[in-house]
Amino acid sequence: MALVVFGVVTIVFVLLRVAAGDPARLMNPPGQQEELVQLTRERIGTDRPIIEQYVDYVVGVFQGDLGTSFHGNQAVLTEVMAALPNTVALAVVTILVSSIIALALGIAAALRPNTALDRGVLVYVSIALATPSFWLAIILVLIFSVRLGWLPAIDMQGPQSFVLPVATLTVALTPVLIRTVRQSFLETLGDDHVRAARARGISERRVILVHGLKVAALPLITLVGIQAGLILAGSYVVESIFNWPGIGKLTLDAVAGRNFPMIQGGVLVAALVFVVVNFVVDLTYAVLDPRIRLGYR
Amino acid sequence: MTDVAGAGTLQLQPVGQSRRIGRRLRRRKSFVVGVTGLTLIIGAAVLAPWLAPHDPMQQDLMATLLPPAWVEGGSPDFPFGTDALGRDVLSRMMYGARNSLLIAFFAVLIAASLGLAAGVTAGFSRSSMDALLMRMGDMQLAFPFILLAIIVLGVVTDRTALHIILVLGIPGWILYARVVRSRVLSEREKDYVTAAHAIGAGRSRQLRKYVLPAVWQVVLVIALLDFGFVILVESTLSFLGFGLTPPEPSWGSILAEGKRSMIVSPWLAVLPGLAIMLTVLAVNLTADGAADVLDPKLRKGVFRRRRQQDTGRQTVTADETGAVAQDDAAGTARRDDGPLLQVVDLHAEFPFDERSVYAVRGVSFAVDRGKTLGIVGESGSGKSVTALSILQLLDAPGRVTHGRVVFDGRDLTRIPDAEMSRLRGRQLGMIFQNPSASLNPVMTIGSQMVETIAAHQAGAGNRTDVARAALADVGIGDPDRVLRRYPFQLSGGMNQRVMIALAMIARPDLLIADEPTTALDVTTQAQVLEQLVAVTHDHDTALILITHDIALVHEYADDVIVMYAGRIFEAGPVRDVVRQPRHPYTKALLDSVPRADLEPNERLRAIPGELPDPSKPQPGCPFAARCAYVMDICRVEDPPLIEVAEHREAACHLPALPDAPPRAPSEVSV
Repeated sequence: MALVVFGVVTIVFVLLRVAAGDPARLMNPPGQQEELVQLTRERIGTDRPIIEQYVDYVVGVFQGDLGTSFHGNQAVLTEVMAALPNTVALAVVTILVSSIIALALGIAAALRPNTALDRGVLVYVSIALATPSFWLAIILVLIFSVRLGWLPAIDMQGPQSFVLPVATLTVALTPVLIRTVRQSFLETLGDDHVRAARARGISERRVILVHGLKVAALPLITLVGIQAGLILAGSYVVESIFNWPGIGKLTLDAVAGRNFPMIQGGVLVAALVFVVVNFVVDLTYAVLDPRIRLGYR
Repeated sequence: MTDVAGAGTLQLQPVGQSRRIGRRLRRRKSFVVGVTGLTLIIGAAVLAPWLAPHDPMQQDLMATLLPPAWVEGGSPDFPFGTDALGRDVLSRMMYGARNSLLIAFFAVLIAASLGLAAGVTAGFSRSSMDALLMRMGDMQLAFPFILLAIIVLGVVTDRTALHIILVLGIPGWILYARVVRSRVLSEREKDYVTAAHAIGAGRSRQLRKYVLPAVWQVVLVIALLDFGFVILVESTLSFLGFGLTPPEPSWGSILAEGKRSMIVSPWLAVLPGLAIMLTVLAVNLTADGAADVLDPKLRKGVFRRRRQQDTGRQTVTADETGAVAQDDAAGTARRDDGPLLQVVDLHAEFPFDERSVYAVRGVSFAVDRGKTLGIVGESGSGKSVTALSILQLLDAPGRVTHGRVVFDGRDLTRIPDAEMSRLRGRQLGMIFQNPSASLNPVMTIGSQMVETIAAHQAGAGNRTDVARAALADVGIGDPDRVLRRYPFQLSGGMNQRVMIALAMIARPDLLIADEPTTALDVTTQAQVLEQLVAVTHDHDTALILITHDIALVHEYADDVIVMYAGRIFEAGPVRDVVRQPRHPYTKALLDSVPRADLEPNERLRAIPGELPDPSKPQPGCPFAARCAYVMDICRVEDPPLIEVAEHREAACHLPALPDAPPRAPSEVSV
């Protein structure tokens, strides 16, 4: 995993230097004298050989220094750390809401396969899978902010600001989760131990909510971990539409301004978050599944 | 149950394959809708130069932000209205579809080609190359590539369609590579491929003849799903401003431009998004339909999709009810005189899409209080289905279609679910073949015992004490340790003891043990069985012992029934049946048991042939094809189960078995 972080950071670093053109020229007005552009280059350090820049950067990272923004003098680390909690808050709320919805709908559908309810859930899954997040965000804004005026369209201003971004991300996240919950529940309900529990007179309610859920919820946790990438990518889109001051918006703004250190900072944090999420998922799984906790293969 | 479901899965045959697939596809409504939608969209895109009413780039500043034709103020010249520069939205969307679809198509093409190549390479090399490729895939999957895509496309100075195609296409390789690799690995293990290799077919020939035909379908399905996904990603990128450079339209960029005037003209944002959504929906529907039909593996879940409760009950037809009412008068005899359990003409079947499996066809027997009944038969003879039918626990879609299960004076096929659930565990218990899978893997033994005790209010005092006593009752020496354990931490024998303890907690009147020791080590088998018999004996619980081993039944049971192909072939007191079997099948079963008195050169007689297909009832005796005593009548007329002596029943045309079969079993034609 550490390798993945290292690889991603390196790739981005090299790509920026090779493919992105000259940020110094972009930072100066068109037709600026070459000497002045060169001064900018020296200030931001892009005049030096790429290897040197890279070594400097990596050494800095290990010392907790992610560099300084090309624009202004803010330390990248400060900016990133200011943005991170906003993205994490968005993601955590989304994951909670989505998991609850997925469990409720997935279980309901699995208990009554091929009924109107089940088909309804599957139709929702198909449509939600095909819905572009950015479009849904706009529609939600049009309806709930512009037309009805119920909810704020942009910026973070208290709990109600969460509603539309979380709704957008939830629609993106739930279809995959629902499908998994439904499938794993269907499978678990067919398991020997569920039949055995019924055979010894455990109530149907308990069979479903305790025996079924304990086993069928495990794949959901793994899946949330796998979908962390989707949530992250989704938050880029959502943050840019709702003007949410998180990592996604920070990175997108940095891309638009060719602000190399900030881009690298955003990517590094995204990769680290990713590693942490996967670690947390593994831990949770171990806590919930004694077979893993107690070392059974 | 699994092998029944497995038999129902689609087997692809080369002959007539494409026609059959086509028929199956046309039967799926969602697939037809998907393909139709996709055709329309692709058609509109391809024919855009001829169909589009306007030049997509042509600006008309006199007619900016016109609403669609159906809204007030709209003009029929511009069916979907115009954008901020007065360009026709419909035309832009049609041309935008060209760009979006073409980009997605080529991206998928690149991903599929790379993935196919990588998968085949990895599958055939199976070495360091394989490890390297898969490791690369893991790493790539570990990171969301769209973030990289955004950055790469965001900073590239002159973006072209090629950039977008490459950025979207290359990362997709791993999706294909994994599947192709695993198919190649499994394919090359197959005999005919190994044989082809042995006779000198080269790699490329193996690839063309055997591997590609096996993988193209799954690659196609993935490609379709990928296609939908790439359309979404491409539109997202355009929306964020990292797509094609303006004024070139694509759905995402039309939407992004529309966003600026969205308060005044919301349709500018709504329409292109709708187009994206419908396209992706059409693609996904097509892919799902194709996956269902092309890839049999994906169909596995189908057979489990019906609800247990809905199907576990038999339906009573009008003309049947009269007979039932009559039977009931006789069947519900006073509780204490009649047998504890009386099964009358039980039929159970598993209706699948294409055909039904008639697992049990007319089984009747009775068990007295405190007695042990053995049910003997090969796997597939219907003995487990009979047991599950008694407890009303058949896996959906299996159901009891006819007959009665009268337990303690009540017909279990007709009592409400909730009541049945109260009877289970309390008056009727069951233990299963695979003890380790029959306990919840993520709950401790203790919690499973305590919940069972709680469910039945069993025993007196502290529940843990009751659990401890129940474990001690089945010969577990250190109950406290076992209570804290999870099933996977215990041996199979120990788990089966726990299952017995669980089943006996409420002192049921009847315990059904379905092959209770088959999954255990030979050494523990005897111990567990002794324990089972002892504990049921102690509590005066009747036992139905289901097994394929007639020797076990001989040792432990009072009566025996021999089942074959969902019916009873012979029934009677164990001693008599073993001493003098009245059915050739029983005799064959007895002959296949190793005995101490066997001559050194004498060979055990296996029964040749297999059980008949339970989905195709055929005339005549179901054992005819394997029977050493077969006569002409056997192939025509099915012998009924009749009383052949006192307490003895058999279903055979032969009035009595001669000592030696007319032919040695090896000569029997199968």
